[in-house]
Amino acid sequence: MSANEKVLSLTVNGEPKKLLVKPHWMLSRVLREELHHTGTKEACGEGACGACTVLIGDKAVLSCMTLALEAEGKCVETIEGLMSGKNPHPIQEAWLEEFGAQCGFCSPGMIMSAKALLLRNPNPTVGEVREAMAGNICVCSNYEHIEAAVLSAARKMRGEGA
Amino acid sequence: MKTFDYIKANSLDEAGAILAASANGAIHSGGTDLMGCLRDRIWMEDVDVVVSVASIEELKHIRKDGDALKIGAMTTLADIAASALVKESCRMLAQAAQATASPQLRNVGTIAGNICQENRCWYYRYSYRIGGIIECIRKGGKKCLAVGGDHRYHSIFGAVNRCVAVNPSDTAPALVAADATIATTKRNISAREFFTGENGKSSTVLEKGEIVKEISVPLSGDGVRSAFKKVALRKSIDFAIISCAAQIALSGGRVENATICLGGVHVNPRPMDEAAGVLKGEALSDELIECAANVALEGAKPLKGNRYKVQIAKAIILDTLSDCIL
Repeated sequence: MSANEKVLSLTVNGEPKKLLVKPHWMLSRVLREELHHTGTKEACGEGACGACTVLIGDKAVLSCMTLALEAEGKCVETIEGLMSGKNPHPIQEAWLEEFGAQCGFCSPGMIMSAKALLLRNPNPTVGEVREAMAGNICVCSNYEHIEAAVLSAARKMRGEGA
Repeated sequence: MKTFDYIKANSLDEAGAILAASANGAIHSGGTDLMGCLRDRIWMEDVDVVVSVASIEELKHIRKDGDALKIGAMTTLADIAASALVKESCRMLAQAAQATASPQLRNVGTIAGNICQENRCWYYRYSYRIGGIIECIRKGGKKCLAVGGDHRYHSIFGAVNRCVAVNPSDTAPALVAADATIATTKRNISAREFFTGENGKSSTVLEKGEIVKEISVPLSGDGVRSAFKKVALRKSIDFAIISCAAQIALSGGRVENATICLGGVHVNPRPMDEAAGVLKGEALSDELIECAANVALEGAKPLKGNRYKVQIAKAIILDTLSDCIL
């Protein structure tokens, strides 16, 4: 254990994890490089693009702007935590059906933002979807499909079919 | 990013003591501004210790207390934006919180962090990774690079200590217009006094080891309306080119009291007292509001590359005051 390393205990996708981290490590780095959950992407590294969005508890946060040590004792959920067994999550299903991904790089962050929205608001309006997704940038400009996917996911999760 | 020591404080007194004893400590509330500053290593001296106060639960509250609305320092912008109490008693503050950054940043960014954030001047924040640090006037250097360089988003009301970087906070103008008081671990400071570009690295009057504890907003009576508007390149996610908060108290169809504060136009949030004075005692009309907007910008001294901001400032004052009347 080098000079300023600290023990970090957190739950990632339901699994308790305990590891040594440096104080300046971001949560995105710990997820990707230490825990090998590379679904979470890091693009801008300064909080402007949303690609690194994960859930802490039920809130969408930017893992590239969160010190790993700030997640001590918290439950973190990443895109890898969405599948149940071999079955995709309804949001992932909707993403496939509505062509939510073009290049796909923004999709993990987009889907986690969508999940945070649908947890607190199962029946969002188009305006609420746009507001909730405003922190996620899609460089392919696939926004119409992303919006359709979130609305379709909401219907699926309410049990209304697509 | 340079590494540092990380300490989770259990109380503000503990955090203050650690900061005061440190060589160059920094406080971590939501961390959304601090992480950018640390990553780009914008300060002349690297931070040696980060003291986190993010998990102190008793600093996360919004409640009515006598004739004031009390907001704990670690209350997130998302909680302020969603609070029925804030919307009802200080609409412009809820609107300003909602207009800040993105959902993810509002989920962690706090009111105290928002008013204590560093300015966004691209010379001041020039990243270490791309050839920084630039030793500008604010960091003890010899000149302000923005005055002779690209200052499209800088001050239109002159410099403070030769620095023309604007205060980027959206909630700051709302707190100034609401005549809020900021309680720290050492004293109470009025929002007007709180912001200053004269304190070197900081944008506030806070001393070393002094930490914001609570914000107190006077409860407005009946007939008081307030509004916040912001002009940014992209909707909320960008910092304001200019923001405006205004509050009007009407009595018998006439303006009993009014406050207007602009953000993004000066080193500090800029109260527009003369413009507000134009409204007092008068019945509101489009002509009167236009007159107030013109008075507000009379003393403007834009730089060569940001004259356009004068027009935006006038327009946003019109827009904000009109929204107060509706």
